[in-house]
Amino acid sequence: MTVFAFTVARRYLLSNPLQTILLVAGVALGVTIFVFITALIHGLAILLTHQVTANSAHVTLEPATRIARVLKSPGVDTEAVALVSTFQRQQIREWRSTVALVRLQPGISSVGAQITGSAFLLKGEASEPVAITGVDPDSLDDITPISTLLVGGDANLEAGGILIGYRLAGDLGVSPGQPVLLRTERGVDRLLAVQGVFKTGVQTVDERVAYLSLPLARPLFRLPEGVTNIEVKLTDPQGARPLAALLHGATGLRATPWQDKNLSLDEALTAQAQTGQLIQMFSLVSIIIGVASALVLSTYRRRSEIGIMRAFGVSGAFVSWVFVLQGLMIGLIGAVVGCVAGYGLCLMLEGLTKADGTPALPIAPEQGGYLAALVLTTLGAVLASVAPARSAARLDPLEAIQQ
Amino acid sequence: MTRLLDARGLEMTFRNGDEPTPVLRGVDVQLGAGELTALIGASGSGKSTLLSIIGLLLRPTAGTIEIAGERVEGLSDARRTLFRNSRLGFVFQSHHLLPDFTATENVAFPAAAPAGRLTPAMRLRARELLVRVGLGDRMDFPATRLSGGQKQRVAIARALMNRPKLILADEPTGALDRESADQVLTLMKEVNEQDKATFLICTHDSLVAARCGRSTTLQDGRVVPTPARGE
Repeated sequence: MTVFAFTVARRYLLSNPLQTILLVAGVALGVTIFVFITALIHGLAILLTHQVTANSAHVTLEPATRIARVLKSPGVDTEAVALVSTFQRQQIREWRSTVALVRLQPGISSVGAQITGSAFLLKGEASEPVAITGVDPDSLDDITPISTLLVGGDANLEAGGILIGYRLAGDLGVSPGQPVLLRTERGVDRLLAVQGVFKTGVQTVDERVAYLSLPLARPLFRLPEGVTNIEVKLTDPQGARPLAALLHGATGLRATPWQDKNLSLDEALTAQAQTGQLIQMFSLVSIIIGVASALVLSTYRRRSEIGIMRAFGVSGAFVSWVFVLQGLMIGLIGAVVGCVAGYGLCLMLEGLTKADGTPALPIAPEQGGYLAALVLTTLGAVLASVAPARSAARLDPLEAIQQ
Repeated sequence: MTRLLDARGLEMTFRNGDEPTPVLRGVDVQLGAGELTALIGASGSGKSTLLSIIGLLLRPTAGTIEIAGERVEGLSDARRTLFRNSRLGFVFQSHHLLPDFTATENVAFPAAAPAGRLTPAMRLRARELLVRVGLGDRMDFPATRLSGGQKQRVAIARALMNRPKLILADEPTGALDRESADQVLTLMKEVNEQDKATFLICTHDSLVAARCGRSTTLQDGRVVPTPARGE
């Protein structure tokens, strides 16, 4: 039934080319908006995620939080309580095997064992609190690409120096090569040379973070074997949550995905995605309304033709097919044109830059939701044609002919 | 002569609000196979209603209809559609051609739509019919480029496409000039004589009726004796 119905549907669409072109253009415009919004939202999410995670880990593994436990014994009236000791430093002793386990997981970009702790940096009368990160010098850039952010000195941590942010260097009045006194939370003092000064652009990092080599950090924080945390970077930051859950289950360590450290950003991205879905839905609804109204008009205009077809014995199903196929063709062609136009628009906008050379819009042309646009629009157009098709199929032939 | 149509006691009452309006009041019509019959009567006499009932486009309020040996008044809508397609042909006062299709496609449409495709055999038959109705040189013309008489001849060819048992024509010459009307009537008579196709032609034109083999007259929804020619 469909081959000849397709011929009739095609002929109907071609009989009024201007109307058909306008109809397809309307659908294509809706799809272009759909693609643009989708690409923009994805681009924005990628940019924000990158800005937040570029200089930090996607998953952080730390020793499990110690919780006071009630120890119950059957038949004993008294209760024993296991107290949490805060005297013993929490650490990951089996960090080498844990790092090896993490490296086996798919989608891992890099893994770094670290010793972190608090300290003060002293220079003359100046004293600034600082968060120390002890890292393997060979994998310094794996989690945070510090060496690429240097504004002075070098990143050779094996030389036994310290890397500090440019704001901290300014507060202390030091520059590369000059000595500073480090006083750790464990009460260990060590005179270190400023090896390099970095600038991440994140104020708290540039003011309060410093890097040492892992071997140097061990005696300073009295951790001869273990590490305080293992930082994991992924190829796709969105995989952080499932990986964190998996690693927590496998190691018993506390595994925190980057989203949990940036809850407000996560909520903002979710809200943004929901807004985008709403706009996409409105685009789709406008397409459906447009196609349905055009086909309703077409049904009305062709009442007598439908009537005569029905009179000489063409079934209602055939008539329905003619209108459903018109909807399908309009939807499919409009969706393809819209996807191409949307991709072109996104490429054009991606090329626009601000005065400083950075992109004017954080758009991701390759993430325009093309398949969804194609499928949803075509289905929407077919859905839109169902009511006109049914009404055409139900036309009383005699009434239609007499009109 | 084999009886092709046997309609008995046909009644049709329309409701105009609460007011019942009887249009047919116990009409009996019988046609023999191969007859060319005129159904005549004044406007409002019930001719078109009777034709629509026999053509299964309208259900009668009462009565029975047997066409080619099959009782049809109680058929479902789907069966009525099939029956119309396979056994009946229609020619209306207005040609009702599909404007976006050629003459050949219009003629083949009643066969192609139910089959789902326009086969070469269907195209060939449509072309043969167009040659027969004198439109061999207009076969690939769009319907919109044909004259009124030519369109009506295409409509006759379309009515013949599925080799129907009975062809129902409602004022087939009503919208044509005298010359075109004459050509159309001649054509229907030829088809009737050569194919032994049965025609029931609804008309209020006595000249048309005069060219048919027999006439049935309707008056106020009843069959009445047909006046002798010249009366």
